[in-house]
Amino acid sequence: MRRRKFSITLMWMGTVLAVLCGLATAQQALDLDGHAVNPFAAASGKPVVLIFLRRDCPVSGRYAPVVQKISREYADRASFWLVYPDRTDNPQDIRKSVADYGYQLPVLRDPEHALVKLSRVQITPEVAVFDGDRRLIYDGRIDDWYIDLSRARPAPTAHELRDAINAAAARTTLAHKEVRGVGCYISDVE
Amino acid sequence: MSFPLRIILFGLLSSTFAPMLAAQSSAPASQLTFNRDVAPIVFRSCSTCHRPGEAAPFSLLNYSDVKKHARQIADVVRSRAMPPWLPEPQELKFADELRLSDADINRILTWVEQGAAEGAPADLPPAPKFVQGWRLGQPDLVLKAEKPFILPPEGTDTYWNFIFRLPIQETKWVKAVEIRPGDKQYVHHANILVDRAHASRQRETEPGAGFGGMEIRIESQAFDPDSHLLFWKPGTIPYVEPEGMALRLDKGTDLVLNTHLQPSGKPEVIQPSIGLYFTDHPATKLPMLLQLENDLKLDIPPGQKDFLVTDDFTLPVDVDLMAIYPHAHYLGKDIRAQATLPDGTKKMLIYIPQWNLNWQAVYRYAEPVLLPRGTVISLLYSYDNSDANPMNPNHPPLRVNGGNRSTDEMCHLWLQVLPVNFDAANGDPRMALQEALARHNVEKNPADFEAHYNLGAMLQARGNLDAALAEYEAAVKLRPEDATGNNALGAALVEGGRPAQAVSYLQAALKARADYFDAHYNLGFALAQQNDFAAAVDQFQTALRLQPQDAAVEANLGAALAEMGRYADARVHFQHALLLDPAQPIAKENLEALKEMNPR
Ligand code: HEC
Repeated sequence: MRRRKFSITLMWMGTVLAVLCGLATAQQALDLDGHAVNPFAAASGKPVVLIFLRRDCPVSGRYAPVVQKISREYADRASFWLVYPDRTDNPQDIRKSVADYGYQLPVLRDPEHALVKLSRVQITPEVAVFDGDRRLIYDGRIDDWYIDLSRARPAPTAHELRDAINAAAARTTLAHKEVRGVGCYISDVE
Repeated sequence: MSFPLRIILFGLLSSTFAPMLAAQSSAPASQLTFNRDVAPIVFRSCSTCHRPGEAAPFSLLNYSDVKKHARQIADVVRSRAMPPWLPEPQELKFADELRLSDADINRILTWVEQGAAEGAPADLPPAPKFVQGWRLGQPDLVLKAEKPFILPPEGTDTYWNFIFRLPIQETKWVKAVEIRPGDKQYVHHANILVDRAHASRQRETEPGAGFGGMEIRIESQAFDPDSHLLFWKPGTIPYVEPEGMALRLDKGTDLVLNTHLQPSGKPEVIQPSIGLYFTDHPATKLPMLLQLENDLKLDIPPGQKDFLVTDDFTLPVDVDLMAIYPHAHYLGKDIRAQATLPDGTKKMLIYIPQWNLNWQAVYRYAEPVLLPRGTVISLLYSYDNSDANPMNPNHPPLRVNGGNRSTDEMCHLWLQVLPVNFDAANGDPRMALQEALARHNVEKNPADFEAHYNLGAMLQARGNLDAALAEYEAAVKLRPEDATGNNALGAALVEGGRPAQAVSYLQAALKARADYFDAHYNLGFALAQQNDFAAAVDQFQTALRLQPQDAAVEANLGAALAEMGRYADARVHFQHALLLDPAQPIAKENLEALKEMNPR
């Protein structure tokens, strides 16, 4: 019996290892100096918000003031990262773009789409919200400002990102865990 | 109000691929490639805007550009969001239609579905060539906005107006205008209004600063049909006016560039410039802009999904229709204009099934469309003021009326027409058109101040002063405190030799607007006619402070002073008048008279 139990424990540990491995690959995102960075490690149990952007995507750009507003408002409650998934983008160009838009948030490149896969996002701009246990609780649009590429509402009427951060902080679940955004496909830059 | 515009978009799209489409579907295994199948479409229909310096957000000039946006391209061509082209195909063709054929769309979609292969280098057509810099060569005159506008990062739509003070010393004839609206990526559209009376300057906080506002109105004094639609939208190539249709620009004229801007997420510096190309040939063909509208009917209850507004106007003369410019705001849904010819034939002039303010444009016909006298032009616009219209500025919906703010609605249609087959002995046919239109508006809405005012102005211009006075009186009755209406009535009374009656209206105009140059001038005139020269001098002096460059005021001020016996002062003003305008007749004549009185 003892042996059996031991082996079960081993198996269980094996599963944990496998999950960690998965995360290790997922965390091959790089900062702008080329160092691998794990956005979850620094979060110390806070919800993590990944914001996926393409420099060549106008809708991504237009969301900058919205992202800045929300990230400032929720600075204590979640940790925010900008993620650039375009493999061909170089760090200098990203650095310039981030400065032009006046972002004060940490930046990641995701050339292998490790974070993209983990987050299940498809479009820029889209966000992924993970709770303190690193569980993905929402992926998709920031809000419903854009209806399609050529039409935007005067102001959004649904606020998915805010709702998701609130849910992550309160550890509740969301009715819509996934709402696709309007913008540029990430798969086009794979 | 004028919407001068010129557009030429890129080459007509043909549907010659239709037979190939059939072939394709019967052989779905054949692999489409960028080089052979897609590049010709992209080079012809996309690259004009999708290249550096143009309006689109990224280039589509080669395989890797297109591959990087392949799925998005599939989406936008499927929905026909790209290339931007709102009208449905119709019998009367537009110049430079941007619409893709079904066959083109299917090719792009199939190519993306099949994995967006590049193909053999030998299949790639030559890259499209574009003129760098000014499209028509160096302009004869380049005007740059004095101060840039800093477009704030946030929001959806921003409207800004730039005033360009024309540095020309004599009348010029313009055969083409290139509008460079600033960084084109952030400009949805821009159009130039000709402001001969500096009516817009008072809206600037400081000279050159520009001013906000979606719709601007420019009052014009005389019958001065600003007959050109000078319009820029993404992809516009400057349009060269047909021979004999040059645009007149006089010394002292301002050009006002109305821009519709889209914030980018970061602050953007917008500093437009305008290039003017002159010709020695004055205009011999005089088109005009007919502005049909029915804003009064815009009283749209909240929740109403399909609110229809119509208007019918009967042409009093034969015209060639050159271009059309429909305009509504965010509730606009289904927009049509149609002509019913005297023989009963109906022709669709334009049909936009899904209106989108962001892509509003002037559409020029491939060939002028002859509309004989008696043709009824009908506009039929429908509006969606329900929550189902995501562009609705109000959430939840509110009652919406006609007006100039972006949250108001509009029902406007501009037609650029050239009167034809007329007898010049009967006067300018444009006046008949304008009068018919003004009369139509008065009949539609007897309580419409502007309609009475415009009809008055037209009757006055055609020499029918009594009828004009009646219309101005009706206008002033409707808006007793309106500066423009009171001034017009006062001025017409002066013209009719009734200066004593004019004074109270002109004073009312000044009460409404103390810095109203025209009213000071007209009041000075009325007072002088009643021999109250001291009071007249006061008015002319005030007018001169408002417009120090006006030769006529200088001359009249001189005349009033001379009447008071102040000859030395009078002489100075006559001389100033002649400096400003060496041909100023009053100054010339009076200076001669002074010389005779006092030969020294
Ligand atoms: C007349 C100019 C013009 C032409 C021609 C044109 N485009 Fe565009 N395109 C634009 C502009 C301007 C935008 C930016 C729209 C916006 O920001 O709302 C744009 C945006 C796009 C977008 C991205 C939408 C977004 O906002 O992210 C795609 C994809 C696109 N165009 C594809 C095409 C394709 C494919 C063609 C040819 C079949 C084409 N365009 C032809 C002007 C043009």
